[in-house]
Amino acid sequence: MEKNFIIAGFGGQGVLLAGEVLATAFMLAGKKVTWYPSYGAEMRGGTVNCEVVASDEEVSAVNKLNTDFIVALNQASFDRFLKKIKKGGVMIANSSLVKELKSRADIDYLFSPITKLAEELGNIKMANILALGVLAKASKMVSLDNLIEALDRVLPPHRKNLLPLNIKALKIGYEYDLLPAGA
Amino acid sequence: MIAEAPSSKKILTKGNYAIAQAAINAGCECYFGYPITPQSEIGEFMSGKMQELGRAYVSAESELAAMNMVIGACSTGAKAMTSSSSCAVSLMQEALSYATSDELPVVLISVMRGGPGLGNIYPSQGDYFQATKGGGNGDYRLIVLAPSTVQECVDLTYKAFYLAHKYKNPTVLLADGLLGQMMEPVEFKEYPYPEIDNSSWALTGAKGRDGRVIRSYAPLAENQCVFLEKLFAKYKAIEENETEWEEIGTEDADVILVSFGSTSRNVKTAMKLCREKGIKAGFFRPITLFPFPSKRLSELASKTKKMISVEVNMGQMINDVRLAVNGKIPVELINKPVGAPPAPEEIVTRIEELI
Repeated sequence: MEKNFIIAGFGGQGVLLAGEVLATAFMLAGKKVTWYPSYGAEMRGGTVNCEVVASDEEVSAVNKLNTDFIVALNQASFDRFLKKIKKGGVMIANSSLVKELKSRADIDYLFSPITKLAEELGNIKMANILALGVLAKASKMVSLDNLIEALDRVLPPHRKNLLPLNIKALKIGYEYDLLPAGA
Repeated sequence: MIAEAPSSKKILTKGNYAIAQAAINAGCECYFGYPITPQSEIGEFMSGKMQELGRAYVSAESELAAMNMVIGACSTGAKAMTSSSSCAVSLMQEALSYATSDELPVVLISVMRGGPGLGNIYPSQGDYFQATKGGGNGDYRLIVLAPSTVQECVDLTYKAFYLAHKYKNPTVLLADGLLGQMMEPVEFKEYPYPEIDNSSWALTGAKGRDGRVIRSYAPLAENQCVFLEKLFAKYKAIEENETEWEEIGTEDADVILVSFGSTSRNVKTAMKLCREKGIKAGFFRPITLFPFPSKRLSELASKTKKMISVEVNMGQMINDVRLAVNGKIPVELINKPVGAPPAPEEIVTRIEELI
């Protein structure tokens, strides 16, 4: 089985790091995985995204036409990637910054106040990792344990003091019950 | 060859960092370079690690200087490299021509971006000609290796150092922005190749022996003839011994898709999708671009009906495929000028149009 994920948001929201943590978690779970960033003129305040493809077999492609899961941390990312979601795929959107509109009937939506939850936790910068918690719950593709170990690996030594807060963010995202009725 | 590498845990890393770490593992003693996207992480990584290890790192004043510094270091027998991209690799062409005639084990990591000219920083395969045909003067060849995954970035960097020193010939690892920027799990096994004895030619100071000269100047016409015959005998040996490729499903194929580097990943999937649709497609990936697997493609041309070269450029490798096939069957092109490779489904649609 192969699934792909796009994490997108403002430059500075930590989407590349979140993608790296996700990809590392898949690696730790024994999956084949590829992480690929948008690179170029992106900068703080601009839009940035990365794609993670995880597979039991060799990763089939690095530029896939459509996506199983999108995590949109801002409105621009929501608007841009909505059309890229596969039928039956999931849009996970940060409702703190994204309008709760459901213009496509063939996908699932998970609106979660990711920025607000991170602020309540005490550090708005945790929004990216909190979103990973939501994604882990929604996708059932990756375990919290693998994500926690991935965080430990990915955070550089001078940020290791933030590991407990990151783990807390992950758990808040994971435990935030957003799944629509019947899902 | 070391039969078994020690078990080591996989790590998730970018192609650029993987190449840099592999170069260090291969024993690279000197790195000279000048930053350019999409390969700047190689120099960044080297700037820290080489100093930690007590090896040489020089941020050169230009790419031209960087390549000439590599020539200087290699003439002492050192393992030395530079890395660059497209328009900046253009600046190295004169020095590469000299390095082939000086028979020096230069290693160049070329991470392709869009061109011609300054172009853009997105992935491309537009430097196939630059790497395999070259922009320097005279009759020469560079050994060119084309990785398609981050793991191969490691394995073929090892191989680049080995082949450069084994054949005393400049060797290019031809990656692209996609491979440079993507992260995948890799395993850094130990450098698997034997060390090459360079004591017969390296400039190490003439204590206790006659002085040596490394130069590319042959004032008498007949000397240059002798030299070129010798050089091309070497290239023939490289062709016979080092040609490498991957092929899948070619034996019963009606159409064979030929592709190299990062693009070949999507092409391999396109081939599988074709099979699911009942199209008998095969997949052929040159791993060495020089030496090009012409002989095998020629054999396959007698078994299949058509070949399609899939490239992210305006069609460059297709020329080598056509030369190998030599008119036996039609060779078509599926291309995208620049950027990430076409998606497998897009490739399949275009295959259906062509067959």
